Amino acid sequence: MRKLLFIMALMLPMGTVLAQVGYVGQHKYDGEHKNEIAGYAMGGHNVVAGGFGGLELSYKHHFDKHWHVGGDAQAQFGKQLYSVDVQGGFAFSLGWSDFFIDGKAMYNSYSRWNAKETIGNLSVTWEMPYFWLRLGESYIHYKVGDFGYTEPLTLTFGFGANLRPRWNAWNVGLFFRNYDDFYYENWNINWGLNFYAPLVNNLKLFGEFNIRPAGSMSQLATRYETSGKLGIKYVW
Amino acid sequence: MMKKIILFTVHCSLFTLITLLMSCEKVSPIGVLVSNTAVEDRVKMSYMYYQDHKADTKWHNVDGKDEYTFLVGADSHLTTDGGRMREMLQNALDHDDLMITHLGDIADTKPEYYILLDDIIDEYRWKYAKKYYEEIYIGYTDDPSEKADPESYLYVDSLYGAAYTIDKVPYPFYPVVGNHDITHNGWALWSSIFHSSFYDVYVVVSNDEPITLDHFIFLDSASGTLGQKQVELIEEGVLDGHDYEKNGYLVRHTFVFGHTNIFRPSSLEFASTFPREESFFLLNQFKEWDARMVFFGHVHKWDYQQDGMTEYITLDSMCEANNPEPGDYLLRVHVKKDGTVTWEKVHMNYKKP
Repeated sequence: MRKLLFIMALMLPMGTVLAQVGYVGQHKYDGEHKNEIAGYAMGGHNVVAGGFGGLELSYKHHFDKHWHVGGDAQAQFGKQLYSVDVQGGFAFSLGWSDFFIDGKAMYNSYSRWNAKETIGNLSVTWEMPYFWLRLGESYIHYKVGDFGYTEPLTLTFGFGANLRPRWNAWNVGLFFRNYDDFYYENWNINWGLNFYAPLVNNLKLFGEFNIRPAGSMSQLATRYETSGKLGIKYVW
Repeated sequence: MMKKIILFTVHCSLFTLITLLMSCEKVSPIGVLVSNTAVEDRVKMSYMYYQDHKADTKWHNVDGKDEYTFLVGADSHLTTDGGRMREMLQNALDHDDLMITHLGDIADTKPEYYILLDDIIDEYRWKYAKKYYEEIYIGYTDDPSEKADPESYLYVDSLYGAAYTIDKVPYPFYPVVGNHDITHNGWALWSSIFHSSFYDVYVVVSNDEPITLDHFIFLDSASGTLGQKQVELIEEGVLDGHDYEKNGYLVRHTFVFGHTNIFRPSSLEFASTFPREESFFLLNQFKEWDARMVFFGHVHKWDYQQDGMTEYITLDSMCEANNPEPGDYLLRVHVKKDGTVTWEKVHMNYKKP
């Protein structure tokens, strides 16, 4: 409990707490709890949409120490964005490293701009005690009205560092990536801080603060979106 | 105790970093290190200029002509060699193009490059004035040097009954601003020549009732985003042409010009495109504008997409440093009186000696 209070005290000056399911979701099966359910509330500001916010819900089931499946859904006002995805993956360990090979199929409806997006992603994540790296590719097809476009294969890149080893009961991390829970895109590297901390038995608090620039591969580099997430995860 | 001190120090550092970056619009590591003028400031400046000067020179009249043409080029990245820029402007002059449009990254950001660019534009403003306007000598002597000075003449546009000194001749060169145009003091240099990065231009194609217009829209996407102010202005309908439509005018074709590309020519093109929401916003907006053609640059590769009657064209770079060999780097659009729109690629021959 003292640890939790200490972590919360560290977070308070930031003004907001921060979240992302992927941060805790990639952790391997603990050998005891086969089911995970998580949800978060989000809010932020986007150049095009203005203020936005929403709710997200995730479920993951571990069949054994190697295989898992899951699904996520979210609804956001502001962007009028509604998303669902299904995913599955295979995990294995080598020494202190854990590897995750994950596939995801996702559908997004950006109702505000009459856009529907279908995405397939295949990624490999390498988790080390203090660092993680993700590489993959995304297939992205979208329609705006009746205009359909398939993007060339889009590289998935993510990198993160944790203050504590990844098996610690609490953690704070820094990340850089060109995707989020419900989008994959070209070389706009968003970045931020995330954390998780134990609440009570089988329940964790997690959060994220995220800055998403436009044009981060060149001199462009202008703030495009800031957002925060705060959620809880329950395992059984 | 030591652990807590380390944690506290790390936390304070992160907090400081976030505070700094939240107060700043440059949010990538490169953006923090390389200064530029933020899109919000550029759009506010441009919109003020646009409001004050919209009526000045932003109209062209082609009533009675069977067709008009305009020339499009992109990413000239002019440095010390003005060969390709001169070739573009000369080509437009030789083919009587109604206007020349440029899709950004016109010069790399050094004052001397902009001085060269300004000199080239002045040179072709004079050639344009001599070709299309009546030249009236207003000098005081027969001194050959005074007679050779463009400032010794008035240039009379008989169509509009207007007379200009050379610096006021409305040379129809319409650029958008690109990311290389805004680094360091780039915006100060760019705006001193071109003034506005967010504006529109009309072409009167028929004076018969209803008066028919073609509409040319120029957007500021140099920062990889339009920014909040520009999005608001677009959503308010500043560029919609509705004021003219309310007065009985008919907007026939809309052509849109921007720097940052929406479409990537291949998987290996890592040049930043718009974030997803902004791509969708723009594509939806192009539909609302019923855009006939939309032009982008930035990625230095050719790309073509079509959505019904809307054509999206991303142009390759016309810069001799990026494409040293001669090639089809320009585009000429032909707009017929009956509304037919066709285009052709235009070859550039200039090669750096």
